[in-house]
Amino acid sequence: MTTTPNTLDRNSNPTGRSAGTAALDLRGVRVAYPDGPDLRVVLDDLDLTVERGEMVVIVGESGAGKSTLLTAAGLLRRPDAGEISVAGTATSVLSERRRTQIRRDHVAFVYQSANLLPTLTAIEQLEIVGHIRGERSAVARARAMELLDGLGLAGRKDQLPAQLSGGERQRVGIGRAFMAEPTILIADEPTASLDPDRSRAVVELLRSAADDRDIATLVVAHDEAPAAAADRVLRLEAGRLRALNGTGAGPTVKM
Amino acid sequence: MFLAIRDLRRGARRFALLGSVIALVALLSTVLSGLATGLVTDGISGLRALPFDRIAFQKGADATFSRSTLRPDALRQFEKVPGVEASPLGASFVNAAPVNGGPRLDLAMFGIPADSFLVQREDARAALAGKPGLVLGEELQKQGVKVGDRYVMGGSNVELPVLGFTFAGTYGHAPIAFVRLDTWQRIQYGSDADGRFSAVVLSGGSRGIGEAADRTGTVVISKEASYAGSPGFTAETTTMTLIRSFLLVISALVIGAFFTVLTVQRTRQIGLLKAMGASNGYILRDGIGQMAILVALATAVGVAIGTGVVEILSRGSAPVELSPRSIATVSLALVAAGIAGSLVAFRRITQVEPAIALGAEA
Repeated sequence: MTTTPNTLDRNSNPTGRSAGTAALDLRGVRVAYPDGPDLRVVLDDLDLTVERGEMVVIVGESGAGKSTLLTAAGLLRRPDAGEISVAGTATSVLSERRRTQIRRDHVAFVYQSANLLPTLTAIEQLEIVGHIRGERSAVARARAMELLDGLGLAGRKDQLPAQLSGGERQRVGIGRAFMAEPTILIADEPTASLDPDRSRAVVELLRSAADDRDIATLVVAHDEAPAAAADRVLRLEAGRLRALNGTGAGPTVKM
Repeated sequence: MFLAIRDLRRGARRFALLGSVIALVALLSTVLSGLATGLVTDGISGLRALPFDRIAFQKGADATFSRSTLRPDALRQFEKVPGVEASPLGASFVNAAPVNGGPRLDLAMFGIPADSFLVQREDARAALAGKPGLVLGEELQKQGVKVGDRYVMGGSNVELPVLGFTFAGTYGHAPIAFVRLDTWQRIQYGSDADGRFSAVVLSGGSRGIGEAADRTGTVVISKEASYAGSPGFTAETTTMTLIRSFLLVISALVIGAFFTVLTVQRTRQIGLLKAMGASNGYILRDGIGQMAILVALATAVGVAIGTGVVEILSRGSAPVELSPRSIATVSLALVAAGIAGSLVAFRRITQVEPAIALGAEA
């Protein structure tokens, strides 16, 4: 497994598509962790393409490497080999600074536990995204307000995370992701800690990210809810992805 | 500093402890600064007030008047240097006992000729030129000493009246008493004075002074260098500087430790911000800004209280003195110490991996 991005033969990838057009494109990605004296290969020559407006759900056993796949796809860690292109930009050769910029401009995350900043109110959780992007504060505030309104949280805008319910926190987390106007939204078990009703609401929001906002949405899920709404469901097994619902890891087929 | 300000406001309690410690350090630094300045003033203000540039001591005297004895020929050598004004100065400490009872006075007695350039005021010149007597520092007037009071100078039988008061300052923590040089010689040496005095003070000129010093076996030093000869001066300033330096080091360590713990606690939050696309610079600005606001606020509070304490102390007998400049120095030094102390903590920020935002092993 010494494949490097430069020598990778793009025509050999199973989807047969170029990296230039997809929102997210993983080619020959390999990640291995040291495990005692050995090396445990978590992602092995993995290919994945997610288009704008498409919602892809990844399922798999615990420890199959789903989180590792998300950290690599979200440019939070460099793979040991392979190429990851975001919005047409190959990232393997980029500096950490540039990768951070691409994250800022193209990637947003939704976490299992919302992961809100404890000292910011609901609206400020969104505003800080604008602040990081260098947006004027009045503009950021107006956009944040509009997003919260759309999420049914206008009345909760001045509450701190500790004062919000689990479902509200998760919706604020999704609002924060929308605030970034991302090309790719990466969600790590976003419904795992919610009851069925709240879980359904969150899945609908993620679906709307793909449908209404044209965001490439990549979701790792343990439970059934997100899979039911997905364009494609892939299983991560032995370091590779396998199509589950018959559409294959190929071109998008919307349901 | 979007996050820093909100964090400070809503997490005030976690910052209160550190804020209090910094405020206390600032308070202590301010009071010590006041004491240091006050002690310096108390030690050398009498010498500082005299209008001279350089001073010649006997070789080996180490700027100490009691170790230096010069004779008139030394004075003449310096008087010959063009452009230089030279005056003999006799200086010693003396205990003065009032003839009619009352508290004794510890005095730093400066003997100078009535026509010396050191005596600038006409009335002082006239007072010294007349009958022998004491011209005392005005602070003694506040202590109840009056013109006409008579004192016997310790170690001699010389009895002198108080002629008047002037702004004279203090030397070696004792108020200055000006007497005419021949009176000083009578007190110091009795009838066997032989024209001796302690040092030659010089004003103006520069060329030829070194040669004159060589010829007379004297060492010429600057006015500022002569302060070190004031009893306790070097020890006091060294001690004060040492204590203040320790305070700064301690506050740097405390601030550094606090922000190190805070940074470790915030590791996940920092990872989250990085995942959101915040650069190291963005997060560093936030952290350093937060530290600077906290240190500045706490320092302001501490310095304000410290200034009040100095004000109260100055009404008593403690030699304290505080200038806007030393207040500014204290404040800036503390903020600088805070930044220095927290640099280590903030270095950790750059090392946080964004991947921990997803709970993954970094």
